[in-house]
Amino acid sequence: MTDILFNNARLIDPSQNLDASGHLAITDRVITALGSGQPNSKIAKADRVIDCNGACLAPGLVDMRVQTADPGSEHLEDLATLLDAAAAGGITGLGCLPNTQPVVDNAAMIDSLGLRASRAAGPRLHIYGAATKGVAGTEMAELGLMAEAGAVAFTNATTSIGDALVMRRLLAYAGMLDKPVIQHCEDASLAADGEMNESETSTRLGLIGIPAIAEAVIIERDIQLMRLTGARYHVAHLSTRAGIDAVRRAKAEGLPITADTAPPYFLLNEIAVSSYDTAFKLSPPLRSEDDRQAVIEAIADGTIDAIASDHVPVDGDAKAQPFGPAQPGASGLDTLLALTLTLVQQNHISLLRAFEALSLAPATILDVTGGTLMPGAAADIIMVRPDTGWLVRGANFVSLSRITPFEGQPVQGLVDATYVDGVCVFNRHA
Amino acid sequence: MLPTRHLLGIEGMNPLEIHSLLDRGDQFADAMQQSGDDLSPLSDVLQGKTIINLFYENSTRTRVSFELAAKRLGGAVLNIALAGSSVKKGETLLDTATTLNAMHPHILVVRHNCSGAARLLSHHVDAAVINAGDGRHEHPTQALLDALTIRRRVGHIEGLKIAICGDVANSRVARSNIHLLGTLGAEVRLVSPATLLPTGIEQMGVSIATELEEGIRGADIVMMLRLQTERMAGTETPSQREYFNLFGLDRSKLMRAAPDALIMHPGPMNRGVEIDSAMADDAHKSLIRTQVEMGVATRMACLEAMADKQAVEAETPKERP
Repeated sequence: MTDILFNNARLIDPSQNLDASGHLAITDRVITALGSGQPNSKIAKADRVIDCNGACLAPGLVDMRVQTADPGSEHLEDLATLLDAAAAGGITGLGCLPNTQPVVDNAAMIDSLGLRASRAAGPRLHIYGAATKGVAGTEMAELGLMAEAGAVAFTNATTSIGDALVMRRLLAYAGMLDKPVIQHCEDASLAADGEMNESETSTRLGLIGIPAIAEAVIIERDIQLMRLTGARYHVAHLSTRAGIDAVRRAKAEGLPITADTAPPYFLLNEIAVSSYDTAFKLSPPLRSEDDRQAVIEAIADGTIDAIASDHVPVDGDAKAQPFGPAQPGASGLDTLLALTLTLVQQNHISLLRAFEALSLAPATILDVTGGTLMPGAAADIIMVRPDTGWLVRGANFVSLSRITPFEGQPVQGLVDATYVDGVCVFNRHA
Repeated sequence: MLPTRHLLGIEGMNPLEIHSLLDRGDQFADAMQQSGDDLSPLSDVLQGKTIINLFYENSTRTRVSFELAAKRLGGAVLNIALAGSSVKKGETLLDTATTLNAMHPHILVVRHNCSGAARLLSHHVDAAVINAGDGRHEHPTQALLDALTIRRRVGHIEGLKIAICGDVANSRVARSNIHLLGTLGAEVRLVSPATLLPTGIEQMGVSIATELEEGIRGADIVMMLRLQTERMAGTETPSQREYFNLFGLDRSKLMRAAPDALIMHPGPMNRGVEIDSAMADDAHKSLIRTQVEMGVATRMACLEAMADKQAVEAETPKERP
């Protein structure tokens, strides 16, 4: 007896390279059947039958870079609104950074966040432990105890680990625990006081530049350290051609390196900053057009494995400033899917590749549930109409964080429903 | 006539607009020289209007210059120096803007340490905004007064070889002058230590030199920029004495410039750092005092142009939505 049967769906499963029409059945929170055409009579006996009318059924998104303001700044975004926004965006699992207040640098914090998220019965919260105490970059945090408590990866959140010895030891220790280290790659001294990408545009605007090579400098150093330690290493929001080239070479060498990027880095470039509009102030900064093209190429050829939202809850007051002192970051959960599908509409990648980058790849990197419609897998799925258009309006976001660099932009791709563990956590038509 | 109601930068202005401001500045300069010590208004174009000088950075010459200019056009001037007060109390730029807006000033003259601050403010007030220097971005009235100074002395700007020397990276004066002098057809060369040359500046239509003698070779105008003391302590440059040795303008280096080359400096000067006192005070070669004088005339032209623009706007019936 099937719990839920989806009929007339376009099934998209990157794990099987499948893009075909058919049906999908869920029983006891698990995908139990997947097939073309109509289901057989045994499967067809279902508590609920949902006619997809040709809409896509795909694995839910695994968004591997999300900042939560909870605990510490719940007025900006608490766990409930974060998970609601994720669900509405088709995200069934999200990796959250440890730079909260207090910092998630011990097992008790992991327990607490994990417990609170499980009570919310929404998308799965995958918690990253701080690589160093207080994300200060100097002393190693209790990686082993955090791993036991459920941390899926370790990272210094929004800053690079600058000290090469600290980084070497982190890679060795995390490697021992078989957890990846996620690095925001930006050399702090080269990027000091930086306000935007360094270029003719920054010079013209009189804004302090962050050179593109500040990213590659850290990646190249870390690649050298990987050769010593053999640990898994992940580059977060990769944004420059130089950084991409470094990752591509390391992959060719067979090193266990992976990378993600975020929609601003393949849809926008630094020219957007010309108006001094602080919605375009991001970290890393918007780069040159050449870098943007390199990011698209790297997504297409797999050098960049995953696409994440890079969601940052930012106070409106922190953006209502001159560009220099304004806080970097923007909302991303509500728009991740539609913005990524822009690459499909522009024929840069296939729909399957888009879903691979959004679900299978991050799930594999983090070794968490998701990314497949294979029978036996947990039913983390979404129903999507990839061609349905809408207008990005921060004011309409489910997330409390409403500042977006894509304000007013028309996009295509709307989530109709999101299921986590076979349970509907979002239904647009409810 | 100005193309926009605000004066936020030189970038985007065309030669006609620039020359019309310079022509008017020229007339005001003549009128002021004729009136001598008599500081009574030369015009009533700002009669009944309030001009607020909103300065987030310390300034003497620019603020006083705007104040004198406004008074000689019959305007009422308020000076608000915020390098201390409200900023320390935590009030944001936009809150200050809202507060001032409620007092209905006609023109806001703004100086701020952040690039883009004047533009941000212009989006939130009803007054016309004049950028009196925003971070490293632009200082349009300085470039205009520099141009007026050159035009009155040399007669033209087109075709002149002009060297801008010193801390280009951190200079809004350099950027505004690059735009203005380039637009009016001068040949602009930048001379700066490699650490103070910003990325991509050559794409702004200038040539570059990292040696002063080489950079000012044959120059008609040598424009020196101020170097802040904190940049001479082993950060951007190794030391003050090395900077003066390599990049300070003295008589022997000036020999490389054109025989009748003129010296300019936006002030305030660091004597013995970027410029030797003998050069700064050379009555025949230095235009530095004239620059200050032209400051008032230029700002009168700018204030008048903005008042004219407001008058035209007031007469134009607003479109109903």
